[in-house]
Amino acid sequence: MAGSILVTLAFVLSLFSLIMYYLSFRGAKNTLNYARLAYHGMAMLIIVACAYFLFLILTNQFQYKYIYNYSNDQLPLGFLISTFWAGQEGSFMFWILCTVIVGIFLQSYTAKRGELEPKVMTVFVLTVTFLIAMITPPLKNPFAYLWAEAAFIDLKHINPAHLNLPFIQNFMFTNDSGETNFVKINHEIYTLLANSGISINEFVIHGKGLNPLLQNFWMQLHPPLLFVSWALAAVPFAFAIAALLKNDYSDWVRQSFPWTLTATGLQTLGIMTGGYWAYGVLGWGGYWAWDPVENSSLVPWLIGVAAIHTMLVQRHSQEKGGTGRFAKTNLILCILVFITVLYSTFLTRSGVLGDASVHSFVSPGALVYITLLVFIISFLSLGIGMIAYRWKSLNQFVVKDENLLSRELALFTSAVVVGASALIVLVGTSAPIFGQSVEIKFYDEMHIPIAIIVGILNGLSLLLKWNETKGSEILSKSRNSLIATGIFAVILIVFGKVYDIMMILLATSAAFSLFVNVEIGYRVVRGNKIKIGSYIAHIGIALFILGVVGSAGYSATKEIDLVKGEKQEAFGYSMVFTGFEPIQGGAKYAFNIDVEYGNKKYNVRPVMYISEFNNSLMREPDILQGWFKDFYVAPLGYEDGRAGEENHSHGQEVTLEVGKQVEALGAKITYVEFIRPDMEVMMAGGEFSMGAKLKIEFGGKSYDIDAITKRDGEGLLSVPVELKEANLKIELANIDMTSKNAVLILNNITGAEDVHATRSAEVLSITAAIKPFVNLVWLGIIVITLGFFLSAYRRLRESWN
Amino acid sequence: MKQKHIFGGVMVVVFLSLMIYLFTQTNLQYESDFSKVKSKERMIKATGSWVKEKGHETDQNKNFVFTMKDVSGNEMKVVYDGAIPNNFEVATSVVVTGMYRDGYFHAKNILTKCPSKYQDVKDPKSASM
Repeated sequence: MAGSILVTLAFVLSLFSLIMYYLSFRGAKNTLNYARLAYHGMAMLIIVACAYFLFLILTNQFQYKYIYNYSNDQLPLGFLISTFWAGQEGSFMFWILCTVIVGIFLQSYTAKRGELEPKVMTVFVLTVTFLIAMITPPLKNPFAYLWAEAAFIDLKHINPAHLNLPFIQNFMFTNDSGETNFVKINHEIYTLLANSGISINEFVIHGKGLNPLLQNFWMQLHPPLLFVSWALAAVPFAFAIAALLKNDYSDWVRQSFPWTLTATGLQTLGIMTGGYWAYGVLGWGGYWAWDPVENSSLVPWLIGVAAIHTMLVQRHSQEKGGTGRFAKTNLILCILVFITVLYSTFLTRSGVLGDASVHSFVSPGALVYITLLVFIISFLSLGIGMIAYRWKSLNQFVVKDENLLSRELALFTSAVVVGASALIVLVGTSAPIFGQSVEIKFYDEMHIPIAIIVGILNGLSLLLKWNETKGSEILSKSRNSLIATGIFAVILIVFGKVYDIMMILLATSAAFSLFVNVEIGYRVVRGNKIKIGSYIAHIGIALFILGVVGSAGYSATKEIDLVKGEKQEAFGYSMVFTGFEPIQGGAKYAFNIDVEYGNKKYNVRPVMYISEFNNSLMREPDILQGWFKDFYVAPLGYEDGRAGEENHSHGQEVTLEVGKQVEALGAKITYVEFIRPDMEVMMAGGEFSMGAKLKIEFGGKSYDIDAITKRDGEGLLSVPVELKEANLKIELANIDMTSKNAVLILNNITGAEDVHATRSAEVLSITAAIKPFVNLVWLGIIVITLGFFLSAYRRLRESWN
Repeated sequence: MKQKHIFGGVMVVVFLSLMIYLFTQTNLQYESDFSKVKSKERMIKATGSWVKEKGHETDQNKNFVFTMKDVSGNEMKVVYDGAIPNNFEVATSVVVTGMYRDGYFHAKNILTKCPSKYQDVKDPKSASM
């Protein structure tokens, strides 16, 4: 209750702050202090609500629906904390927390810079208000109680001490197979329990737990990084709309630049920690699969990168006074960054991608769906509307056209190319909404030429001066880099044996940009250290592209069956499977493989386990990380040798009605009579058996046998019978209580033994892959991020009036 | 200046036509009616559910074989060149990408949808004890 009140109060204060800021912007005199007070009050409420929510998670308060669904009492502290953002409600609240804290910094930032605060904060608080509305009680409230809507709780999550209460029986349910029992939790049982002095928290004592895929380090890091960057994405949007409100475009680029750079830098890290998770934990075999969820986080990043390039041109052309070049482009791009963040939220939370993504998304209800849509449409129409409204005055600031060989044009072209990439990803990702979908090839083939152009532009733009450059000057400046690139290309083809023309172009253009950035960057930075950021970021991009060429273009994969103790070879690595052992207290199994490469010995231990959370086989890869390549081992399955006996598929399956006869494996089989289970024992849930009385005729003799299935505490168990005289093994696969039809599986005993013999070895099936230069991908990302932060620092110093 | 605009325009047209061309080339349609899946001779994404009663197996060529049915109960044998996917046995629905040929569906890719991350317990049938 306290949580819902905190959230509701925060919403009210946020609304009040919005109105006060708007009035201040319209010229009211005494409202600014109220606006600030309300904002900080709201921020405190949100922080307290989040702290309270975390407290509820840490103390396992399963009377809250969210905590029951995503947490349990066995999680260690670190994973309990990541429960905070494991589900929709919690991740919304976490996003709000980040946004609210960003707002505190933004308020003090804008308060120190002239008249900025009222107009920027009006827009920013508007986004905050919308976000908080999403977690208020009618929508995705993280503080909703378990009994608010009827929920079926697994019996094993209930405190057994309270199960003997007389009224509990009325709330007991069972599922189709009759194996799992549930207790229905609703207002009624809540009241009945309360009357007996029992709270729901004492009644429900375990939670469903955290999805095992999220129980790792990268999932503790990835969501916070992404949400902080998304919170920051609202800032350039606020600056852009504020500039439009004021109809003054001279300062907003300079003032919002450090925010845009920081947001994009954090997004780079956020996206890639997700990629590393897919590579190192999910065992996708790669870091990027063009999955809609990945894509939807990439689009805002790409648009942010495009915006940074054209914002730079506007900044530079402003030095001569006036608004500068690309004012409209910059406004549109900064608005689009935030809109695509919202769109990404919509795609991943609304259930529209249900069939398209490996991530599971179930519709969160019509109300939330509509609210999200309203959210996007409002902000989109606000952006478009404002630009249309100011179109005339925006067109008054026409600047003289630039020369073809100018840095302005190179930067603009870069933005266009990156924007094209954003469009491709957006189109492909949105296709499932219209019942379409694209193959991964669509993204790959479109991006190879784009990446080649990016490489060339990345190098070329540094060789170009602002305004105008002579062709001969470019050649003389780039001589060293061109020679180095030539040598690189020769090495690539002769020693690297790369013959695919697109891959040669891609790697060579990336290498070219790397050399130019290093050379020119070194010269410039020696004179002026503050300019280092962009060179670092572009070196990062070049390294990243080289890493992608190696790890995606030249990775090789092989499926291998490792028989225990036998040596197998793949890609020059020899492997011996030596057995498995339980780890983490028997929760998981590590499969030990001794690897030899060159003269060195290694050990890889991929992991498999059955997760209680979803009752499925989970697999975790293990990676032998090298400087130049990774050796990637993902487990597929394990057969312990006894599997052959239990494998039904090798036998012949027949279905028989009572009294009917069938000929199989040289014998005549008659279904004589149904063996009835003891009904009383059965109803009481005790052990019983049922089956079919059979008559087997073979070689002129007749035999009577019973094919039986037993039920004990574990479930149904079929008992195979062997008839040595007829070389026949019979197993009752299924028997229907009402029709009495029996499904039998027939095997030859000798044949079955043959199968048994060939399968008696323990076999571990794996996918082995080689990933050349994958380290350059990670290194590139870290270097890019560093570059963003260094640039943000530089632009922050320039943001003062 | 005119030339530059023409050049820019041409580039935009080239880019868009390339994108539309590739889109149509790599486009995969969703199909939940298996009688239509069987009649189409192109790559498709078939959505349905696994017929639990018929089980699943791994054949000699290490293919994963199972039977799927659509909403109206049409069944289809699916052969997937790979191992059983995570979560397969608890999946509420299955999306297979591939083509129907020679009496069965050759799947290149399987996607299992599970009642996990963002879903509550499915209402169990109210067969009271």
